[in-house]
Amino acid sequence: MAHGSPVLKLYKSIIEDVIEGVRELFTEEGIDEQVLKDLKQLWETKVMQSKATEGFFRHSQHSSQFTLQLPHTSHRVLQTSSVIPAGRGLQHFTAAGLGASQPGATLALPSGMAYPIHVPAGMTLQITSGQLYKVNVPVMVTQGRDANILQLPIQQIFQSVGQPSVLHTNVASVAPVNVPSVQATADVLQTQKTAVQQTVAVQPTATENKHLETSTSTALVQQPTESQQQIAPDAVQNQYAESTEKSQHGSLHTPVFNSESSEVFSPSDFVEANNSSSLLLDVEGQLDTEPQESLQQQVSDDIIEMIMMGKSLDDNTVLKDEDTVAPTDKLEPTEQVESNLQSEKDICSDIKGIIQLDETGDASPKEEMSHTKDTEENEFVDIIESEDLKVLEDEDEGEDEEGDSISNMDSGSSSCDNEEPQIDIVEEDPLNSDDDVSEQDVPDLFDTDNVIVCQYDKIHRSKNKWKFYLKDGVMSFEGKDYVFAKAIGDAEW
Amino acid sequence: MDADSDVALDILITNVVCVFRTRCHLNLRKIALEGANVIYKRDVGKVLMKLRKPRITATIWSSGKVICTGATSEEEAKFGARRLARSLQKLGFQVIFTDFKVVNVLAVCNMPFEIRLPEFTKNNRPHASYEPELHPAVCYRIKTLRATLQIFSTGSITVTGPNVKAVASAVEQIYPFVFESRKIL
Repeated sequence: MAHGSPVLKLYKSIIEDVIEGVRELFTEEGIDEQVLKDLKQLWETKVMQSKATEGFFRHSQHSSQFTLQLPHTSHRVLQTSSVIPAGRGLQHFTAAGLGASQPGATLALPSGMAYPIHVPAGMTLQITSGQLYKVNVPVMVTQGRDANILQLPIQQIFQSVGQPSVLHTNVASVAPVNVPSVQATADVLQTQKTAVQQTVAVQPTATENKHLETSTSTALVQQPTESQQQIAPDAVQNQYAESTEKSQHGSLHTPVFNSESSEVFSPSDFVEANNSSSLLLDVEGQLDTEPQESLQQQVSDDIIEMIMMGKSLDDNTVLKDEDTVAPTDKLEPTEQVESNLQSEKDICSDIKGIIQLDETGDASPKEEMSHTKDTEENEFVDIIESEDLKVLEDEDEGEDEEGDSISNMDSGSSSCDNEEPQIDIVEEDPLNSDDDVSEQDVPDLFDTDNVIVCQYDKIHRSKNKWKFYLKDGVMSFEGKDYVFAKAIGDAEW
Repeated sequence: MDADSDVALDILITNVVCVFRTRCHLNLRKIALEGANVIYKRDVGKVLMKLRKPRITATIWSSGKVICTGATSEEEAKFGARRLARSLQKLGFQVIFTDFKVVNVLAVCNMPFEIRLPEFTKNNRPHASYEPELHPAVCYRIKTLRATLQIFSTGSITVTGPNVKAVASAVEQIYPFVFESRKIL
């Protein structure tokens, strides 16, 4: 688990760097900024989807997972009640595993989780669907009906507009599992959404306590959210762009959120960070029920960066209008969900199709090796070369000798050879006839997709024993990616 | 004496070196990239390809010349060389298996007695050369057979010759001389 996170973080940083680096070029070329964002979205999506990074990213159409990546932080209080939504795809519940504050700990929360989770600052939340939420402040994700999470001065909830939809599904998925208090899903969602909105708003302002309060005005929030998001670095925009791409699942939720906005804001429905977490969850098909669980996240003072790949604000607004249902009413959402699911599935399948090209494509992995020493070979070579010279001399001197020796090998053609040294053709047994020279390539050991791309310090061989001293590499092992600064290996050929 | 030389001495062939030509230019880089079990020695312009079945290491030049080492018999050497040519053919080169020749055969033989080298050298002046400070063995060359024998005081003899036959003959030839200078306990 812990392995994946540093890799993922590295990849993210790489993506960021590259995008930043080419930003200027793009603008010079006259290419729209949007394209760049799309690029980034696609890239990140692919990375997530590829499952090459540790499994905190399960792309499951049916399960929404809430994955918390916890960077190295001192305090982490993760309490998770292992609530696993029934019948909801994958649930990775690695909360337990996150006991120690390991860098990049990954917590995959099943959708509909109902537990309080304290997310420390600097955490990056990722949804299976690829939505990322980077929380720079500690976030308390709790399911607190009663708790008024907003107590924390700092706001968290970074929820893109699209998120609400995620939340929605989350809620839905959670609902069956938990029959929690929040009956007013909409309310919850609402609050969540608003909370999110708040969060967004918070970003520019840096500290807010009130987001919850303002939650009621969803529409308003959306706007500020939007603007806020504008404020946010391009990433956010990218997120939106991505969200547009991935809007499907979000659609349903948005209306739900919206509809409920003004109402309920019961403390129990407080969904702050939880919203974000729920947003993180994969929305697909979660709309069966609208879970009332409210996840609360408390973010400390820092601003939360939202990296969202969710529905765009536009979609949200549209959905708002639709304003489908009361929490209990699933019909419309269901329909929408279905459609969304379908589209999402399509996307997923496409993505999967794309992703599986890992082997051939992404990094064009190849092993770089160099043979530094070959003492054994050298000996032979010396002998060979001396012998070689001898042979050459012999050949020059006497065709007969050659012819004789050769003819000994090949039946029949000796006399001819002696006469015409140039005609060696007769001697050759066409290799094609060598059916006996079987395709011995016994193993094509290269069937493995495990590849390492790295630099070498030293490669050594003795007879058939190899020793590798490698450095600075990335490897794909059994589908997962790992990065290393140094690697030592032994092998026998 | 001659009959004695036909003693059942076990001559172990440890290495057979052979060469063959592919009659076509070989793109070493392509072989290095696409071939299996290859080592590319770019600095010297060679590609080493190792085979498992007959344990063979082949040195391939871009000119199409291939030297094959590591076989334990002439048959095996030819077999391995053909396999190698076949794999090159599979890589896409128009390979023609020509000029196969066993170039060197290395064999080891053990005498049941020890040998007094200085005495042996004296008795076999022109052919034997002994420089104990440089190498502990006597180097005995048989010009007619083009074979070289390295005779150690322990009774172990290393023979290298152009083919297995020559090696066998060399051992037979040397036996009586070595027998003369053996250490008698």
